[in-house]
Amino acid sequence: MDYILSILVFFPAVAALLGFIVSKDSIRVYGITVAFIEFALSLWLWLSFDGDYAGMQFVESVALIPSFGISYYLGVDGISLFIVILSTFITLVGLIALSETRNVKNMIISILFLEMTMVGVFVSLDAILFYVFWELSLVPMLYIIGAWGGNLRVYAAIKFFLYTFAGSLIMLVGMLVMAYLYYQATGVWSFSITEWHRLLLPLDYQIWLFIAFFIGLAIKIPMFPFHTWLPYAHGQAPTIGSVILAAVLLKMGTYGLVRLTLPMFPDASVYMIMPVAILSLIMIIYTAMVAYAQEDMKQVIAYSSISHMGVIVLGTFAMNPEGIAGSVFFMLSHGIVSGALFMLVGVIYDRRHTKLMSEFGGLAKVMPKYGLIMGIMVMASVGLPLTMSFVGEFLSLVGFYKVSPIITILAGTSIILGAVYMLSLYRKSFFGEVVNEKNRGLKDLNKKESTALWSLVLVTVWLGIYPKPVLGPINTSVESLVSFMHQKAITQKAKETIKPTVIEREAK
Amino acid sequence: MLEPISVSLESLNLGTLAPMLVAICGGLAIIIIDLIKKDLDKSLYVMLSILVLFVDLMAVIGLQVGERGFFDIMLIDGIAVLSQIIIIVASMLFIPLALTSKRFHEFSYPEFFGLFLLMVGGFQFMVATDNLILVFIGLETASLALYTLIAMHNREKSFEAAIKYFIMGALGAGFFGMGSMILYALTGSVELYKIEEVLAAGGYQNLTILLVGISFLIAAFGFKLSLVPFHTWTPDVYEGASAALAGYMSVVPKIAAFVVVLRVFEFLISSNVVWLRDVLYVLVVLTMTLANIMALVQKDVKRMLAFSSISHAGFVMAAIMIGTTQAHSALFLYWVLFLFTNLGAFAMLWVSRHKESKWHERFDHPYEKFSGMIQIMPVGAVVMAIFMLSLAGVPPFSIFWGKLYIMSAAVNSDYIILALIMAINSAISAYYYLKLIVYMFLKSPEENDGTVYMKNASKPLQTIIGLSVFLTIFAVLAVEPMMGIITYYVEVSGF
Repeated sequence: MDYILSILVFFPAVAALLGFIVSKDSIRVYGITVAFIEFALSLWLWLSFDGDYAGMQFVESVALIPSFGISYYLGVDGISLFIVILSTFITLVGLIALSETRNVKNMIISILFLEMTMVGVFVSLDAILFYVFWELSLVPMLYIIGAWGGNLRVYAAIKFFLYTFAGSLIMLVGMLVMAYLYYQATGVWSFSITEWHRLLLPLDYQIWLFIAFFIGLAIKIPMFPFHTWLPYAHGQAPTIGSVILAAVLLKMGTYGLVRLTLPMFPDASVYMIMPVAILSLIMIIYTAMVAYAQEDMKQVIAYSSISHMGVIVLGTFAMNPEGIAGSVFFMLSHGIVSGALFMLVGVIYDRRHTKLMSEFGGLAKVMPKYGLIMGIMVMASVGLPLTMSFVGEFLSLVGFYKVSPIITILAGTSIILGAVYMLSLYRKSFFGEVVNEKNRGLKDLNKKESTALWSLVLVTVWLGIYPKPVLGPINTSVESLVSFMHQKAITQKAKETIKPTVIEREAK
Repeated sequence: MLEPISVSLESLNLGTLAPMLVAICGGLAIIIIDLIKKDLDKSLYVMLSILVLFVDLMAVIGLQVGERGFFDIMLIDGIAVLSQIIIIVASMLFIPLALTSKRFHEFSYPEFFGLFLLMVGGFQFMVATDNLILVFIGLETASLALYTLIAMHNREKSFEAAIKYFIMGALGAGFFGMGSMILYALTGSVELYKIEEVLAAGGYQNLTILLVGISFLIAAFGFKLSLVPFHTWTPDVYEGASAALAGYMSVVPKIAAFVVVLRVFEFLISSNVVWLRDVLYVLVVLTMTLANIMALVQKDVKRMLAFSSISHAGFVMAAIMIGTTQAHSALFLYWVLFLFTNLGAFAMLWVSRHKESKWHERFDHPYEKFSGMIQIMPVGAVVMAIFMLSLAGVPPFSIFWGKLYIMSAAVNSDYIILALIMAINSAISAYYYLKLIVYMFLKSPEENDGTVYMKNASKPLQTIIGLSVFLTIFAVLAVEPMMGIITYYVEVSGF
C-alpha cells in the first residue's frame, strides 16, 4: 500500500459524501464503521512503519502547481505518526459515545469531514497543503459548535473561527515570505516543508518569520493572551466537539511548532526561548488558578487543558531530545486524558443537563462505575505516575530543567495546582452524601459509554506503564530533528542550547 | 485643397475589428428578427446570444497577438486578447441566467439581448485599444446599454438604480474627458504609447499638470471600479438591479476597467511616479478596509455582496499598484477565480428571487430569508456556504488561490505591510460571509416551506450553479494551466 496516507486522508471525506445518501436511522452505525476502518488503517500504518528510521516515510508527492512550487506532498515520521493515530482513535471513541439525537446525520457527516482535515494537517509536508487542511478544519468545527452547542453557541463558534482564521492568515503571509526567500536562495519556488528546513536564514529574518508563524500557531494552542476563545468554545460546544477540539485540534498548534518553527528557525527559536517560556508560565499558573475558581465542571477541564498545553509548549522549547519527545508524548496523553474528561462531563450532562458542581455530590455512590473512571482520569490529569500524563509531563519538565531550573520549578507548580483543582472537583461532585434528590436515580454508564471510556482508560494505563512502543519512534525522529537543528544553527548561543544526545555521548 | 487619402484595405487590418463586429451585428440581428416575427420565446434569444458570443470568442482566439489595425487605433496585445476572452466567457455564463422559470418583464423584450450584445461589444472596444477616445467610446457604449438593462427590470428600485448609475457614470465620464484633455494638452496625443514617449522624452517636466490629469483619471476609474471614496453608488445599484445583472456588473465591467487602468497607469508606475503609487496605495487600503467594515452592518445579502465586491476590487487594484508581471498575472487569475464564485453566489440569490416580500419590506434577500436553510434545503445551503467560504478566502476554494498569488506578489515586491493589511482584511471579511453561514446553518428556520429558495430555478440555472460549484471547489487543478496562459499573454504585451 504505497498510497496509504492518501487513503487515510480521503477515506473519511469520501465516506462523508456517501453519508449524505445513508438513511438517518442507520447513520450512526455507518459513522462508527467508517471511523473504525479509518482507525484500523492508521494502526496498519503503525505496523508497517519503520521505527528505527528517523526521516519521512510513506512519502507521496504530486505537483499541483509546479510553476509556484505547490505540491501534494505527504509523509509521516515518528512525530506525526502517533498524532494521526490519536486523531482516528479519538474520532472513533467519540462517535461510539455520541449521545446527540438532534440532526445526527449532519453531525456525523461533519465529524467525518473534520477527520479528513485532522489527518491531513498531520501528514502534509507542503506548507500550502498544511494550510488548506488547517483552515478547512475550522469549518466543520464551526458548524458543530454553532449547531449543537449551548445558549451562546453562535457567539462561541464565530469567535473560535475568527480568532484562528485571523492568526493563520498572518502565518500565511509568513509562509509566502518564506517561499520568496527560498526562491531568492535557490531560484526555484517551493512550499515543501522539508525543503524549507534546509534553508539557512539570517537571525533577523528568522525572528520576524518566527513571530509570524508563532502568532498563527499560538492562537490555536492557545497561548496566553490569545486563549480567550477556548473557554467559550468548550463551554458551548457539544460533548463530541469539546472532545475533538481538546484532543486533536489544539495539537495542531503544538505540532506546528515542532514541525515548522523549530527546524525552520532554530536560532530564532533559541532567541525566543525566554519570552515563550514566560508566556507558557503565565499560561500554566494563571489558567490553573482560573480553573480552581470555576463552578462549572467543563470549564474546570477547559482551563486545565490550557494549563497543560503550557507545559507542552515549555517542553517543546527545551530544545533537547527529552523535552521535545516529552512534549510530543504529552500531546498524545493530553489528547487521551482531556478527551476522556470532556466525555465524562458529557455523560453527566446528558443525564442532568447541568454541569455545575454545586448540583452534584455523592455521585460515586449513585454511579460507581462512572466514579471509578472519573477517578482514574482525574489522577491521570494530575500526572500520577503509571499514567500516560506522568511520562509526558515529567519528560517535558526534565527537558526544560536543563534550560532554566527556576522556570521549571515554577512550572512544576502546575502539578500541585492541578491536583488542587481536579481533586476538589472530584470531592465536590463525587464524595459526600447525595445532597440533591435529583441525583439519586441517575443511571450508571451504559454500554456505549463504558466501551468508549474503558478503551481510553486502557490506553492511559498501558502507555503509562510501558510507553516504549510509542516513545521509541518519537525519540528516533526527535533526536534526528534536534541534531539537524544543532547543525543548522548559526549563532553560538543556539549551538550551545540545542543539545542533541549524540554530541553528549561523544563528549563523554 | 486637401490631399485625397488613399487607404488600402490591407492596411486597415479589419480582422482586428472582427470580434466587436460579430457582437454588434449579432445584437442588431436579434432586433431585426424581432421586426420580422413577434412574440418569440426568450429561450431563442438566449441561445442566439450564446451562439453569437461563441463566434465572437473564436474570432478573439484567432487574433494575432501584437497587431495594430484600423489607422493604428486598435491594439491587439496579450492583455487585450486575454481580457476579451474573460469578458466573453463571463457573458456566456451569465446570459443563461435569463432562463428563469418565473416570468420576468425584461427578458420578454428582444431588446434586452440586443443591448446585452452591444454592451459586450463596447467592453471589447474598451480593452482592445490604447487610444483614449476609443476607450471613451467603448466605455460609454457599454455603460449606456448597461443603464438601460438595469432599468428594464421594471421596479421602482431599478429605475432609481439606473438613474443613480447613470449620473455617477456621467460624472465619471466627465472626469475621464478632463483627464484625457490634460494629457492631450501636455503631449499632443491621445494615444497612450505616444503619450508615454513624449513624456519620457521630456523627462516628465510638467509633473504638476500631469498629476492633475492623472487625478482626474483616477477619479474616473474610481467610479467605474467602485473604489472608495467613489463607491457610493454600488450597493444601491446592486440592490435595484436583478441579481443576475448585479453579478454580471461585479465582474465584467470591472475587468474591462482594470485593463484600461493597467494601460494608463502602468508606464507611470514603472517610470517611478512615486506620487501615483502612494495615492493608489492609499486608495487600495481604504477600499479594502472601509468596504469591509461597511459590509459588516448590511442587512441584505445582495448589499453585502456589493460591498464585498468593492473590497475584492480593492484587493485586485493592489496588483496594479505593485506593478510587476507577477502581480499583473495574479490580477487576471484572481478575477477569473472571482468570476467562478461570484457567478455562483449571485445565481443562488437569483433562483431564490420571489415577488412577495415576506421577510423585509425593502430587501429581496435579507439574511432572515436564509434562516435554517440547512434543514429545509441541505444541498442549497452547502452550495451557498461553499461560495461564501470561497469569497472569504478559505482554502482550497477558488478565491484563496487568487489571494495567495496577489499576496505573494506583494511580498515579492517588498510590500509586506500591504500583504499583512490584506491578511487582516481577509479576516475581517470572514465575519460577514460567516454571518450568512450562521443564518443558514445555525439558526432555526422561520415559517418557510423551502420552495422559496428554488422558486426561480430551472434546469439551465441549476446547471450554471453546478458548474460554478465545480469550478470553485476544484479551482486548484485549474490554477497551473490558467496561470500558464495568463502569464504568456501578460508577458507578450510587456506588462
